[in-house]
Amino acid sequence: MAELSAKTPCAGLLPVSAGGVTLSEVDAGVLTSLSPRRGRAEALGKALDASVGAKLPEVNRATGEAGSRVIWFGQGQYLLMGPDPAAALGAEAAVTDQSDAWAVVRLDGVAAEDVLARLVPLDLRAQSFAVGHTARSMLGHMSVSITRTDPDTFQIMAFRSMAKTLVHEIETAMKGVAARGAG
Amino acid sequence: MRFSGLKVLAEGLTGNKGWGAHWRDAQPKPEYDMVIIGGGGHGLSTAYYLAKNHGMTNIAVLEKGYLGGGNVGRNTTIVRANYFLQGNSEFYSHSLKLWEGLEEDLNYNVMHSQRGLINLFHSDGQRDAFARRGNMMINQGDDAVLLDREGVRKHLPYLDFDQVRFPIYGGLLHPRGGTARHDAVAWGYARGASDRGVDLVQNCEVTGIDIEGGVVKGVQTSRGPIRAKKVAIIVAGRSGQVAAMAGRRLPIESHVLQAFVTEGVKPVIDHVISFGMGHFYISQSDKGGLVFGGDLDFYASYAQRGNLPMKEHVMEAGMTLMPMIGKAKVLRSWGGIMDMTPDGSPIIDKMEGIDGLYIDCGWNYGGFKAVPASGWCMAHLMATDQHHEVAAKYRLDRFRTGVGIMDEEGTGSQHNLH
Amino acid sequence: MRITCPVCGERDRREFYYVGDAVALQRPDPDASDVVWDDYVHNRDNPAGVTRDLWYHEGGCGAWIVVTRNTITHEVLGTELASDVKEASA
Repeated sequence: MAELSAKTPCAGLLPVSAGGVTLSEVDAGVLTSLSPRRGRAEALGKALDASVGAKLPEVNRATGEAGSRVIWFGQGQYLLMGPDPAAALGAEAAVTDQSDAWAVVRLDGVAAEDVLARLVPLDLRAQSFAVGHTARSMLGHMSVSITRTDPDTFQIMAFRSMAKTLVHEIETAMKGVAARGAG
Repeated sequence: MRFSGLKVLAEGLTGNKGWGAHWRDAQPKPEYDMVIIGGGGHGLSTAYYLAKNHGMTNIAVLEKGYLGGGNVGRNTTIVRANYFLQGNSEFYSHSLKLWEGLEEDLNYNVMHSQRGLINLFHSDGQRDAFARRGNMMINQGDDAVLLDREGVRKHLPYLDFDQVRFPIYGGLLHPRGGTARHDAVAWGYARGASDRGVDLVQNCEVTGIDIEGGVVKGVQTSRGPIRAKKVAIIVAGRSGQVAAMAGRRLPIESHVLQAFVTEGVKPVIDHVISFGMGHFYISQSDKGGLVFGGDLDFYASYAQRGNLPMKEHVMEAGMTLMPMIGKAKVLRSWGGIMDMTPDGSPIIDKMEGIDGLYIDCGWNYGGFKAVPASGWCMAHLMATDQHHEVAAKYRLDRFRTGVGIMDEEGTGSQHNLH
Repeated sequence: MRITCPVCGERDRREFYYVGDAVALQRPDPDASDVVWDDYVHNRDNPAGVTRDLWYHEGGCGAWIVVTRNTITHEVLGTELASDVKEASA
């Protein structure tokens, strides 16, 4: 019988660096989508806090830290990254396992904002997109989730099937920014 | 106004002061047999063929702006007959034949250039579809040649054949396809109609349509009321507003389609080329500008200008197909307003329930090449009250009955899909 | 053109997918006549001026939005969640 070996979405593609900016893969662990039932968002927040010690974020915000995050993920949707969801959450929300469905990368460096400015139709400068801010938007033609996790770090998520395009687009922009900076 | 070599020479040497007008700038009379609302390509060709084919000359064409100022003067000039579905095939085939005799018929140089049109394909499935389309074109009596990759390379060596997303597998060559000088088409038809006695009335906006007891009686205009036995609405881009004057709603949404032209460059593109990425197409004008465009902006609009994301997308497609285009500077861009129907095919019909009212509309993004046949068939309908055989399927009621929907793209008969 | 998503805030036009006239919120009865259904599916007021259409925030939060907009100037005059509009009219 064939031996299947698990690979991360960006295996063999990352990390890459250019112009002081590095793109690397994040091992996201368990990914769980949480969609609160009608009128149950507050109850979900309490259940989440009690079970994994995580706070339900406001719209366009993320809570927690590496290893345990909750990201606002769309209208009436949240993404729990890291901890296993407690069974109790099922009473308050539709709970769906999304592990391995997303390519998760991080972009680090002072010029990370400049790289994303070439790809994303949002103002991602710190004064309007601070640490803990998140957005669902587009990177090129791809639908993505972008979160500023540290002053010079963005976490970017795209569908797993688009991992190679995600890396290609960002790497091309990194090289462009680096070339501009060097000139 | 007539041209001759001698006259051109004489005028050139004396400051070009002796040229006269091509057509009479007519004043509106109080009554006509027929009034055509809209002095675009289709309105003018309808008037011309009413006069020429049916001997009807007591006609006024009412234009709210100036002749040639609408879509006929702002399109990408492509002329082709490469349709697949019955209903469209015979119509565009007829139109192309009229194009081929147009300059002789009008005695006017419309610069019709049959430089060949190549639709590129990018997969095995698309090759099959194009082979089938080519066979339909040949069955209709038109011409089509299926080119493999090397065949395309002989015509278009400068393309990037191996880009990753849309590698070029081959193309369907339509040798009789090409371009024509768009505003010359308007002027040629205008002169021909005017010379036969048709009144072309500019700066005359129709503000109402008079209907009594289900019979059309005339129109109200910014230059006074005009009585008429028959009235035609031929105002693509504004069809909804004018039909509303007759109390009708149409299966039409007006959308903006952008087009672009670069500075003039030396001859480089000999054909009309279309590419699978977002409907991108390109040709080179006689002045040397690269004329290109892509898809609709995809929202209802009358703004005559589009938004930046579609510009960016069209430029990306051009760069993907032929990276050399990146060195040309874009000179200008504009947006034409398209009558979009749910199935992507036009309407030439009587307005059911209102005697004497006719409508020619819904040309989507393909109205220019249809100018001769649209006028020919609309004139036939207005003169005889019978549908011309090559336009018999362009019925308004096809959407209600579901019979004769002509969804050439096969995407579904729904407003936001064409 | 920029559209303010009632959920996410003001965003670039390219994040949104245009669906068409907001008539979709007044769907006829399934047993209505072919004339009524034809009118609903195909015929449009298609105004040159203020219009209300339905957009989907496809590249964003996934909300369905009723956009009040001017077709001559491209000015966006207001946005509401389609679900709110539907509930208010119920």
